[in-house]
Amino acid sequence: MAIVAIDKLTKRYDGGAEPAVRDVSLTVADGEFMVLLGPSGCGKSSVLRMIAGLEPITSGTVSIDGRVVNQVPARDRDIAMVFQSYALYPHMTVYQNLAFGLRRRSVPAAEIERRVKGAAERLGLTSFLARKPHALSGGQRQRVALGRAIVRDPKVFLFDEPLSNLDAALRVSTRNELIKQQSEIGITTIYVTHDQVEAMTMGHRICIMDRGEVIQVGRPLEVYGHPANTFVARFLGNPPMNLMKTELEGADGGLRCRVAGTAIAIDGRFESGGANSVILGVRPEDLYELPAPPGLGPMAEIAVRVIAVEPLGAETLLVLASADDAQEFIARVGRQTKLAPGDRTTIALDTSRIHLFDAASTRAIPRRRS
Amino acid sequence: MFLAPALVLYAAFMVYPVLRTFYNSIHSIKPQGVQEFVGLANFRELLSTDLVFWKAVGNTAVFAVIATVADVLGGLLLALCLYSRPPFAKLLRVVWFTPVLMSYVVVGVIWVWIYDYDWGLANSLLRWLGLGAFEQSWLGDPHTALGSVMATHIWKWLGFNMIIFLAALSALPAEVLGAAELDNCGWLAKLVYIIVPMLRPTIVNLTVLSFIGKMMIFDLVWIMTGGGPLWSTETVSTYVYKRAFDWNTFDLGYPSAIAVLWFFIIMIFVVLMTRVFRQRDKLEF
Amino acid sequence: MGTTRSSWLSYVRRSPLLLFLVFYTVVSGGPFLWVAAMSLRTTPEIFAAPYAFPSRLHWEKFAEAWTKSNYGTYFWNSVIVVTTAVVLITVLGAMVAHALARYRFRGSRLVRFAILSGLILPPQLMILSLFQILLEYGLYNTLTGLIVVYVAGHLAITVYILEGFFAQIPQDLFDAARMDGYSDFEIFWRITLPIGVPAIFTTVTLNFIILWNEFLYAVVLLTDDDKRTLPLGIMHFMGSHQLDVGMLATGLMITIAPIILLYGFFSETMIKGMTAGAVR
Repeated sequence: MAIVAIDKLTKRYDGGAEPAVRDVSLTVADGEFMVLLGPSGCGKSSVLRMIAGLEPITSGTVSIDGRVVNQVPARDRDIAMVFQSYALYPHMTVYQNLAFGLRRRSVPAAEIERRVKGAAERLGLTSFLARKPHALSGGQRQRVALGRAIVRDPKVFLFDEPLSNLDAALRVSTRNELIKQQSEIGITTIYVTHDQVEAMTMGHRICIMDRGEVIQVGRPLEVYGHPANTFVARFLGNPPMNLMKTELEGADGGLRCRVAGTAIAIDGRFESGGANSVILGVRPEDLYELPAPPGLGPMAEIAVRVIAVEPLGAETLLVLASADDAQEFIARVGRQTKLAPGDRTTIALDTSRIHLFDAASTRAIPRRRS
Repeated sequence: MFLAPALVLYAAFMVYPVLRTFYNSIHSIKPQGVQEFVGLANFRELLSTDLVFWKAVGNTAVFAVIATVADVLGGLLLALCLYSRPPFAKLLRVVWFTPVLMSYVVVGVIWVWIYDYDWGLANSLLRWLGLGAFEQSWLGDPHTALGSVMATHIWKWLGFNMIIFLAALSALPAEVLGAAELDNCGWLAKLVYIIVPMLRPTIVNLTVLSFIGKMMIFDLVWIMTGGGPLWSTETVSTYVYKRAFDWNTFDLGYPSAIAVLWFFIIMIFVVLMTRVFRQRDKLEF
Repeated sequence: MGTTRSSWLSYVRRSPLLLFLVFYTVVSGGPFLWVAAMSLRTTPEIFAAPYAFPSRLHWEKFAEAWTKSNYGTYFWNSVIVVTTAVVLITVLGAMVAHALARYRFRGSRLVRFAILSGLILPPQLMILSLFQILLEYGLYNTLTGLIVVYVAGHLAITVYILEGFFAQIPQDLFDAARMDGYSDFEIFWRITLPIGVPAIFTTVTLNFIILWNEFLYAVVLLTDDDKRTLPLGIMHFMGSHQLDVGMLATGLMITIAPIILLYGFFSETMIKGMTAGAVR
């Protein structure tokens, strides 16, 4: 159990024009499950490797339990890591794989046996202990990789996209397995992924990174509901948030913006920043077919033309274009719809749930606290 | 169509000669094309009364075993040196490979000079270091001749093994080495527990390849010592040559028999070695 | 904080390694520099001070070696034999490799087995019979005979390398060509060869080095001085003029000069070429 704190971490690779990681600061609380989320190349794996000690740090510090560990070699940081490709020792049996780290640390044989058998049981690997990795399936290898980390009983767990090599069904079950294990064992965990579903379901908090920088940190639902910029807004949520460029008109007291001709009252709900060019964001689930269900905020109605209808079984996605063809957006509606491609209709937008972003900086315009 | 010209050549000058050698081995071939079927007499004489043959076998065996081990280990060592990314690694790689490209003749002459008693580098160096007591007639003394030739041969081939090992080392998955790092492995532990076991297929391949090459060695020995002094560097192949072309009685049957026998011995060893060292399960990574 | 200190420390820790690097570089490269120096000194100079730098660069020794000591002849013999053989091996080898890689026909397995087993045959198994055969056909002691033997003997490794490469060319290219009406030979000429250039380059390099340095077959199958290739020339000179170290050194330089020259420009290709056979 430990607190991991990184402060202004920067990483420059030789020959790289831009730093791969830029001034990243983050604190992970004891026992917390922190997810580093971001697209490929955003620097999240580099951050993880620097915490592990497998990558030299250009500047900044990494501390574990208050102690700066920049100069401490990886093996002395009391950290265990699960790699994307599992990184099992191919010439050793499962038992040997699990026991290796302990043997290298001169743990007494009896203790090794106890821990290995314990971890194996916990993960359902007991019948595989004598096998070598090539004789295991992907999911089994994953569990061995996890077991290797558990057996070490470290202060921190690090995961580097461990589920990306598994097929979809296995991914879901293993994900739940990991959540269960982590909450039972309670070790501080830092988990890197590019999959937002993993991030939303597994993390206590998520940290979104893009191009080497931290964009936003917070609890999953918080980040979902209050994205800091358009990047985060579109990264979380599938299908992604609809973004529409528009202008603010009128003045305080009658502030509006137009979407496809329909005026949407903004009035007093957002901090006035002075910017007039804004991006309006509305999630697909906040667009409704008429008649809209009761209990929602003030609705605005927009004339649209249906481009495509995608029935998914549990819900239907509508790909729509505004009547003047200026905007395109996606709406998430109920199980069935009577609409067909080419239809012209009106949809309702829940204006209490819109987001506004500054068009120039793409940063969110904060809501006024009332 | 495509194969015809090549196959004809190949058949005429590779397949046919091999078969003919087998044929020769059971005959006694005298000059002027006189041939006489002698059955297994050549082999019998070879195995029972030919002391030179057995000395040659002994020399060749010693050579093959020791030089192979030294070669493979040395190549691995050099590869590890370059793997740890020292300065000028690329240049070093090129320079260290140079001996491999040279003809045995060139290498042989150079090392004959190095081993020269009076002005050769070996003895001069010893004298310069004050170890003059150790100076030898490296190639002239039956006790040191074989070792000296071996040293030269190893010098020539280390670079080859080094390149192969370097390629294999670069193919090792970085994440596995990272995992070893986290499992409290310093460079020595990584080497012993992870790298060498994972390199096992390469090590086995190179050992077999090396062994075969050394069992057939001719060029270097011929240039440096011609098999002397006193048969101390006589190898099976130099003996075959001598028996065929340098002997007072001309008989091609006998050396053919030697060649045939030796071929079978090499084959047996190769099969044995691959059997014994073969990895039962594939090292998938 | 500790960056300068730790890199200094790491230098100290690595000093045994660095020492070894220097040591081995001297060991592997030194002898050649020595020969290069000796090739420009006269024999008396060498005996007086074997390890000194040349005081005067005796470039005329090369001319002397070329003409008086016959190295010129040896050089040209080597060039003729090696280039002809390499060309033939490449052409024939590519044809065989193409056939084996692309076509399935009766006997293909037998052919493949026969050719690939040539990889492991010891030369002793064949030289004696080759000696007889060449004698019988009047090819003994001729450059032609040697060339023929070289080609036959080194087809195996070339076919092995090229076949592996050719087999990886996607079949679709060939199917498309066949549908476009190309004949078998045209397919070989226009598709396999151009795409196979890197691998062919590799085998050409490999064959060149091996044959330039080849000794055993040459020493058995050639006897006339004016037919000798460079390795034989050196050997002969060594036998008769053992003490003329200076001239020998010059001869050695003539022998290794082409290789060193090529190595300087093409080191990567040559390294890859020489080790191509062993890297599975």
